[in-house]
Amino acid sequence: MSKKPQRAPLEYSKSFRLRAWIFGVLLFLYAPLLILIAFSFNDSKRNIVWKGFTFKWYVKVFENDALREALFNSLIIAVLCTIFSVILGALAAFVLWRFKFPMKGLLESGLNLPIVVPEICMGVGVLMFFNKIHWPNDLPWPISLSQIIIAHITFSFPFVAVVVRARLESFNKELEAAALDLGASQWRAFTDVIVPHMTPGLIAGALLAFTLSLDDFVITFFASGPGTITFPIKVYSMVRFSVTPEVNAASTIIIVLTLIATAVAMKFQDTSPNKENA
Amino acid sequence: MAEIKLTPEETALFLKGNSRSRRAFMAAFGATAAAFSIAACSKGSAPAAKDDGKIVIEGSEKAPLKFYNWDTYIGETTLDDFKAASDVPVEMTLFASNDELFAKFRAGNPGYDVIMPSNEYVTRMAEAGMLQPLDHSKIPNMKNIAPEFLDPDFDKGRKFSMPYTWLVLGIGYRKSAMKDGAAPDSWKYVLDSDQYKGKISLLGESMDLFRLTFKYLGHSVNDYTPELLKQAEAILVKQKAFVKNFHDDNGQDLLLSKEVDIVIEYNGDIAQVKKEDDDLDFLIPKEGSLLNSDCMCIPKGAPSPNNAHAFINYILDAKVGAAISKTILYPTPNAAAKALMDDAYKNNPIIFPPADKLAKCEYGKFLGQEYAQSIESAMNRVRAAK
Amino acid sequence: MQNWFENKRFFWATMLAPTVWFLAFFVAPMALVWAYSFGENAGPVNIAITGTFGNYAKAFRPEILQVLSDSVVLALIATLICLVLAFPVAIAMTFADDKTKSWLLLLIMLPFWTNLLIRTYALIAMMRTEGFINFTFAFFHNIAVSLGFNLGDYVPMELLYNKSAIVIGLVYVHLPFMVLPLYAALDKLDRSLIEASLDLGAGHLTTMWKIVVPLALPGIAAGLVITFIPAMGAYLTPDLLGGPNDLMIATLIERQFKRANDWPFGSALSFILMYVTLIFFALRTFFEARGGKVSAH
Repeated sequence: MSKKPQRAPLEYSKSFRLRAWIFGVLLFLYAPLLILIAFSFNDSKRNIVWKGFTFKWYVKVFENDALREALFNSLIIAVLCTIFSVILGALAAFVLWRFKFPMKGLLESGLNLPIVVPEICMGVGVLMFFNKIHWPNDLPWPISLSQIIIAHITFSFPFVAVVVRARLESFNKELEAAALDLGASQWRAFTDVIVPHMTPGLIAGALLAFTLSLDDFVITFFASGPGTITFPIKVYSMVRFSVTPEVNAASTIIIVLTLIATAVAMKFQDTSPNKENA
Repeated sequence: MAEIKLTPEETALFLKGNSRSRRAFMAAFGATAAAFSIAACSKGSAPAAKDDGKIVIEGSEKAPLKFYNWDTYIGETTLDDFKAASDVPVEMTLFASNDELFAKFRAGNPGYDVIMPSNEYVTRMAEAGMLQPLDHSKIPNMKNIAPEFLDPDFDKGRKFSMPYTWLVLGIGYRKSAMKDGAAPDSWKYVLDSDQYKGKISLLGESMDLFRLTFKYLGHSVNDYTPELLKQAEAILVKQKAFVKNFHDDNGQDLLLSKEVDIVIEYNGDIAQVKKEDDDLDFLIPKEGSLLNSDCMCIPKGAPSPNNAHAFINYILDAKVGAAISKTILYPTPNAAAKALMDDAYKNNPIIFPPADKLAKCEYGKFLGQEYAQSIESAMNRVRAAK
Repeated sequence: MQNWFENKRFFWATMLAPTVWFLAFFVAPMALVWAYSFGENAGPVNIAITGTFGNYAKAFRPEILQVLSDSVVLALIATLICLVLAFPVAIAMTFADDKTKSWLLLLIMLPFWTNLLIRTYALIAMMRTEGFINFTFAFFHNIAVSLGFNLGDYVPMELLYNKSAIVIGLVYVHLPFMVLPLYAALDKLDRSLIEASLDLGAGHLTTMWKIVVPLALPGIAAGLVITFIPAMGAYLTPDLLGGPNDLMIATLIERQFKRANDWPFGSALSFILMYVTLIFFALRTFFEARGGKVSAH
């Protein structure tokens, strides 16, 4: 390490060993993904052996309305789930961190239960619950997604709470006290001092919620009414026969679009003084 | 509006003058021409496909038909064609397993008109009061069904269900890997032998695996005594040492990727991978095997039962059935549809195994709650055994 | 920590929404399932709530305890590997500039926005006997042989259908659950502490261990929780990657709700997991509260 004297002491991201480590982790994450992408060009109905190059699965993705609809549903659900989960999770984390109140231990440990509960168990619970309260099944789209969104928020926001709670541990409580002393209202102190400190936790929580929601099958299946298909439901429903490379093609398109969108967003950030976006 | 939809390959083959494709093209063209002609104004009883291809549904509910099915398990244009013929749009939603279907309906019908459970689950759902009896007078195309499918054990007299496809479990294997080139014509090779040690994959589905073990032991798949269960459990615990894994109904993929040489799988699945690798084959062992059949049912509380009957009748139409079989390539119980299929399908010994072998096969019956639970516990013991 | 009655309005304003949501959409649905765990099957659909403890008693059968302990061990190993893999990544994120940080976050998360099932299929395609890992090794093996090394024929490694395959799969699926809380806990940490440590002559590793790890502890704790628990609950990964001996508890529970159609037993098993968690966290909160009081004086 000392061979590079130009490196400032805290620039760990420039350390060779650290870079090699990150490269290794990314290789582990991306090698299967490259195979997944390669199979999207495979001239076979299944993802098993290479049979030759084709673009036909991409053509099929563009012709397949049901697949696009499923993807679109999944994205809407994931985005709404993320927004609500971050708000609820941050509030929960804040309350548990900030206040002492009766039954706090119960609420705090109870909030871990949605992380613990086996998916199928929660799926069945949600199914019976919506049935018991006579939640209508024939709502028009996109309100018909509400059951799924509610269920997703329920299992996602505790993840956000756990992460944000961990972040708050490093908050210097004197800062809030100082803001209050300077005459800031309780609410101003919260939004101006605490929320900025929470931000990395909120970002991490948002990414978690989005990921959890996007990939959920079991609970979604039990929460969905007739007429609602999400991307995972479509994929799992193919398993009995074989998951076609159409799914790989759609995933590849998503990966590429995400990368492009991020690159563009970063470019814009370079020109604006604003920072941080993930 | 019905359209002629041919895949690019089909079109290419047709232009090259391939007779098989030309026939398919002509069939599609004929159906389309009929759909395009002007609807006659005659009114009949029951849903009837008129000569012009239009379907008049008596008492049709003015609502889209909610169809609960597996993905990629219908003809490419079947739903559009039905809409063109009857003016009833079909909304197909997807489920992934019979168990999930059943679990979901335990809370009542969320609004589906037609569902597609397999044989045993037809019984299970009927016993649970989830299904509505079918009105056979509204399904004249029932005449197209092959006679052996008209009175199955799991649904006597077809009171609740109409068959859509059928399947049979058997042994899928890699020919070149078999000792002395001999076909593995007994369950012994997968259930009670170390000959293909480490190259065997068994079914992870507990009920079917135990039933096949019963069959291997010389019993009916529906025989059940605690002693027999114990005996089967002991065999599986012993065989576990020679088994690579218990597969999740993806045995055909394991076979294709050469992970294993011999698996328990469905004929339809092996037929599909054989198209990619001719070294693979399928047989029904000499002891006989387990049949499976996916069936169309109308759940209780269906919002549009009249449309549902018309839809089931439409699917059982010879041409429509043939178009579906052409896409999904599973064995069809629809004799009239089978007659329209080409020889490559009709004479495929994997899709339609020899009759003498089939004669020894049975449907698994739903033998009640406790039976299912004791088999599940036995499977847990097999998996946890050291 | 403030007592709630000292600041009632603010307390209610922040506490109400998450608590009500939790009660309405988690506690209420799960209460229904909880009742089933004291019930008996009365026909294919009906469950008679008889107040029996029989379902809980069934959970203590030896084969189920075996599956449970296997699951704990596998999930624990996977979680620790995740921690080892993720910590340096989180450190790099913490000290990187904003742009690099954003890219790193994105690159870590992107694979998880593709469907779990097809990602697992891809992992299988890597690891199987005729998979890409074995191809790569065979390639180098053959080069070595052609260079004159006497190594014999390449014997492909059996990477799939055993416990290590499950661990690899669990790590692959749960890595971001460890990276994100670590990143959240460490981001924008007080650099002056580290600079001071380095100035005082401590090495990078010592500094890391004595300064950064303690700062990261809440993140590590959070990461352990949200990695270990979901890894215990994984069913698809073990089903597809595991061998004949490898059954995990989530699969077993899932089957009770599905094939066996035994919801009471499935609920009892699910709730045993939840009771254990509840007790664990309640004890932790209790001891933290006591510890907090002691240190406050």
